[in-house]
Amino acid sequence: MSAGFRAVQWNQAKFVYDAILLAAVALYIGTYIVLGYWLDPPKDEPAAIDMRIRAFGTCAFFMLTIILSIGPLARLDRRFLPLLYNRRHFGVLTFFVALLHASFMVEWFAVQNALPSLYDELTKVSDYGKFIGFPFKALGLLALLILLLMAATSHDFWLAFLTPPVWKSLHMGLYVAYGLVVMHVALGVMQYDRSPLIPAMLAGGFLVVTVLHLVAGWRERAGDISDKLSDDGWLLVGPPLSIPDQGARIVAAPGGERIAVFRDGARIGALSNLCAHQNGPVGEGRIIDGCVTCPWHGYQYRLEDGCAPAPFTEKLATYRVRVAHGMVEVDPRPLAPGTPAAITYQ
Amino acid sequence: MRRAHRSVHRALWPVLALAIAMGFVMALTLRPPPDAGAPPAAEDVNP
Repeated sequence: MSAGFRAVQWNQAKFVYDAILLAAVALYIGTYIVLGYWLDPPKDEPAAIDMRIRAFGTCAFFMLTIILSIGPLARLDRRFLPLLYNRRHFGVLTFFVALLHASFMVEWFAVQNALPSLYDELTKVSDYGKFIGFPFKALGLLALLILLLMAATSHDFWLAFLTPPVWKSLHMGLYVAYGLVVMHVALGVMQYDRSPLIPAMLAGGFLVVTVLHLVAGWRERAGDISDKLSDDGWLLVGPPLSIPDQGARIVAAPGGERIAVFRDGARIGALSNLCAHQNGPVGEGRIIDGCVTCPWHGYQYRLEDGCAPAPFTEKLATYRVRVAHGMVEVDPRPLAPGTPAAITYQ
Repeated sequence: MRRAHRSVHRALWPVLALAIAMGFVMALTLRPPPDAGAPPAAEDVNP
């Protein structure tokens, strides 16, 4: 987090993340091209460019598949959370890999003085009514524009400016981009290249993303089922010791948002489960250095009142808590963000 | 994620996934048979 504007909030974790990412991309593309030259050396310049197109194109597809898998993987297993930490840099790098893929495609036409053919292909309106024969490059171009939009708005400035719900909705466009990329390949190279690797790559990547989302979504559904209410409308959480020390139990208000009930020794406090940064699941985090810490990007809040420690200014809504008949209960009506509400139980 | 956000996600995601799956299967089954003749001229082949 930052108290002021910084272009990139570098830290050691981000340097390591980006270094591994760049090394992996370079290794993939290098291996693809070296193997390509070894197995089937290109006969002319267009063939050499075609190899680069495929190397960068497949790399972008695998990167998109991984990016879309990180979210559900992190929900299913906390060990994947470090991948989520700097996912935005992953997305920006994916855009640049896809951009290079597109620029090599333009170069392929240019070296053959065939740029008018590319223009014709994209502007022949009648082809847009076909399925087989659809101008598949238009699908790739649209996906690239969506990736550009994601990359351009990936900075925290845009997150704060648009607000987390709008920003998250906008970045859901990545699913559309992925669908466009699948169809770009299916209606493009898969139509004339009979290698079984192409449908296997598409189906495999798509299945991985789909199955992970279905499994994670199935688990998530349980979290939205309202918890039991006491006679006066408070949510029953359970005995104090059922809340892990320096951790939380997440309860759901009827028709409302999830509430994270944290315990820090004998202190119990309830905060909104929505991190002020990206609406991450605060309740899946831990209390670190005395502060509730979001598992996604490490934003911190005091248990007492949901305020970020100075100099930061983020605040979470808090909820009244009580212990009645040995059970922790939470009033599901949120208090104003930053209102002190934590209690000490005996 | 907010509750409303999750609800929209749950409603739209399967529709999108189904559309892509159908599109992919159609593209796979409807693709023209491989040409046994001479390879097409370079300008007819897309990169």
